[in-house]
Amino acid sequence: MASDARARLPSFKDKQPPEGPRKGLSLSRIGIYAVLFAGVLIAIGPFLWMISASFMTISEVNLTRLLPEKLLWENYATALRRANFFDIEIATDPQTGVLQSLQVSGYIWNSVRITLITVLGSLTVCIPAAYAFARMKFVGRDFLFALFLSTMMIPGIVMLIPHLLTVIWLGRLSESLFGPAGAWFNNWPALTIPFFASVFNIFLLRQFFIQIPLDLWEAARIDGAGHPRFLISVVLPLSKAPIMTIVTLGFIGSWNALMWPLLVTINDEWRPIAVGLSNFVTADTPGDLNLQMAASVITVIPILILYFVAQKQFTEGIAQTGIRG
Amino acid sequence: MSTLSAVNRALATRRGRLLLENLTAYLFLAPAGLLILLFGIFPVAFAFFVSLHRWRRFPDQYVGLANYEKALGNLAYILFFWLALIAFVAAFLMGKRLLKALRRSNSARRFASLLAGLACAYASLLAIDWFFKLVPVIMLIPRQVRRQNTTLALFMEKLGDSFTSPEVWAAGNALLGGMIVAGMALSLVAWRFRYAHSGQVIAFSAITTLLVGAGAFLLQLTAVETEAAIAAARASGESLPIWSQLVFISAGIALIAGAWQVFRRGIGSYDNRRFFLLIVGGLMLAVGGYLIMAEAPAALAAADDDLLAGFWITIMYAMGTVPVQLSIGLLLAYLLFQPIRFRAFFRMVYFIPYITPFVATSIVFRIIFDAGRHAPANRMLSIVGLEPQRWILERSTIGDLLGLPDFLAGPSLALIVIMIYSTWTYIGYDAVIFLAGLGNIPGELYEAARIDGAGGWRVFRHITLPLLSPTVFFLSLVAIIGTFQAFTQIWILRTGAVGNRVNTASVYIFDELQNSNRYGYASSMAFVLFALILLMTLFQNRVMGRRVFYG
Repeated sequence: MASDARARLPSFKDKQPPEGPRKGLSLSRIGIYAVLFAGVLIAIGPFLWMISASFMTISEVNLTRLLPEKLLWENYATALRRANFFDIEIATDPQTGVLQSLQVSGYIWNSVRITLITVLGSLTVCIPAAYAFARMKFVGRDFLFALFLSTMMIPGIVMLIPHLLTVIWLGRLSESLFGPAGAWFNNWPALTIPFFASVFNIFLLRQFFIQIPLDLWEAARIDGAGHPRFLISVVLPLSKAPIMTIVTLGFIGSWNALMWPLLVTINDEWRPIAVGLSNFVTADTPGDLNLQMAASVITVIPILILYFVAQKQFTEGIAQTGIRG
Repeated sequence: MSTLSAVNRALATRRGRLLLENLTAYLFLAPAGLLILLFGIFPVAFAFFVSLHRWRRFPDQYVGLANYEKALGNLAYILFFWLALIAFVAAFLMGKRLLKALRRSNSARRFASLLAGLACAYASLLAIDWFFKLVPVIMLIPRQVRRQNTTLALFMEKLGDSFTSPEVWAAGNALLGGMIVAGMALSLVAWRFRYAHSGQVIAFSAITTLLVGAGAFLLQLTAVETEAAIAAARASGESLPIWSQLVFISAGIALIAGAWQVFRRGIGSYDNRRFFLLIVGGLMLAVGGYLIMAEAPAALAAADDDLLAGFWITIMYAMGTVPVQLSIGLLLAYLLFQPIRFRAFFRMVYFIPYITPFVATSIVFRIIFDAGRHAPANRMLSIVGLEPQRWILERSTIGDLLGLPDFLAGPSLALIVIMIYSTWTYIGYDAVIFLAGLGNIPGELYEAARIDGAGGWRVFRHITLPLLSPTVFFLSLVAIIGTFQAFTQIWILRTGAVGNRVNTASVYIFDELQNSNRYGYASSMAFVLFALILLMTLFQNRVMGRRVFYG
């Protein structure tokens, strides 16, 4: 029965066009490929040049050469340092050489921390909520779901001011509870907690959970499992695809975030990388374009790596629900 | 031990299991629900509250519609009048559903449900009242404890003070009473007077009452504020023709809406009647348009020019990006859907601009569209034999640059660069969604068309496009809402040289918030933007939604 149920499991499978790839070339097919490759060039041309320019000297960039004469790897080292992207301080005991303290700082480190907290928090908050909407019966379910969904319609700019005031106020409250470490403003809570309960994530997960066959739940219940057990040991292992989509989207969202972090941070202690890059560029204008390019490449690379790893779930998850960042 | 087994026994019954399921569900929902309440629902009401106050970092006095008046001039009063009307219309529609639900039964029980619904609505109104008396007091706490050593005891003391301040206390007691009454009414219905439609009756009557309350509140607010504004103008020896503007512009809007209805009837009917209806509709449209055109400038005379310019720039931005990005996206998706190789590769690559940080990619675009002679864009121009341009630094409009008359000015060259950039980022996203939409079109249709001898273009025109219309509709809606909210692309690519020539409404609002700290004013403008987006969504739903063909 289990294998039968598995065959009916929902998937993010691509729908194929009516015919498979054809061999041979006709004139119209050459035209199609020409347009598609032109599209590729336009889509990633700027990136390729970004990479190329990050190895150039300044004068080469100013003349917009296509390729550098010599690969200047040191641009990256300089950019990392000048843009304050990453810094590590290791203090060892001078006599014994034992590690005493390890201080990591810089925008990359901040973004990594913010991203991890946001993604983990979002998963812990959204998975149970989505499960409740998908698989449980309770009073006011449809009303609450409609209410949740309706909040997606509200433009971000309307929410900006109340969010700011709420964060300031909650920060004061938690500061008086936990001392200075509990501050929200210019600290991780303001940058992460408002994004935990993403209605989009709940919606995406619910759409997936709802398709899981009822037989599995019946079987689990006969085995004596309640909802929490069923969620953890059956539903979650089956939901790798949507979870991967959410992780990727969450990662991209908090890695690229600019407007909100600008509002709620005042120094570099928690500022994420997008703000850091933006600051570096504005402070540097119209200075060392090659270093700006190197810094941009550094910013883009983690996103690209994650995208290449997860791109299948990601584009298909997007195609299913149509989110726009 | 015995209590535990009693609990177990109670939970084993059907009711007990239902209760347990409900409790588990609410437990599962609690964290998400709390956060969404805090960061999704409460902020909207709160932003409205802020917009009615002078508010610079900390709440100041209540100023009514002054912020809206500053943003929109006299049009603000007209806007609020219409909001009140919309609330009443919604209440009317909800009331009709309520009557329908009431008619489904003729037992006396329905009146119990009706009363319970009214009690709930009343309690909700009391809750709103209490909440908005409490919030400003609570919001002041950070300022009060700012220079002191913030301890929990101090904070809790201040918190307690804010609950017991006389106004809040009275409202809180009223709320408590209202809640007890509503709870009693609800449990009475559940215990003794329950029937199949009682849930509907309770919900509809409560919502209708709340909508009437909202409409009455907005109407009263508009009336009071309008009278105050007129009185203030009279005191300084001027006359303020708000009422006449309100009447004329409302008549104009009503006429245009009526004309639309008449046109719809006209197109559906025949010969003489159709001709007559079309003439009438045209007349109504002309008169309504004339009324609005004649009165709007005066009504907007005192409006914030920067905001109006921001709206105009936003509209140009939307018109310049949305059609282009949708058609290119559709073209790419359509080509990708042909039997070709490397489909996955193409799709993956097209998507890259959408996921990379704006900050990083914008730097490349800044170099491409730099003012220098060696910038790629200028090199292209020189190949064609044109003068180099200042692109991202150019505040003159393309109309100026081409020597066109003023009314053809169009967007500034800097804004066009931003449009190109924005289009570049979103094409891949559109193509991926279009591709999914194409995948949902059943293959048999293509086959049938091919058997009937339809060629490529005709298949596209008569099968692909109609069946893809839900996707087109969805994407255009999302794209237009997106352009009205667009912030990062513009904020990043704007330079000091172009000043406010590229500031869309949302960028202007952000500036007011971030640089000037005018919370109240920024909130009111954000609400105007929100109203505009809602209006457009509704309009698009009605006009385009009709043309959408759902398989």
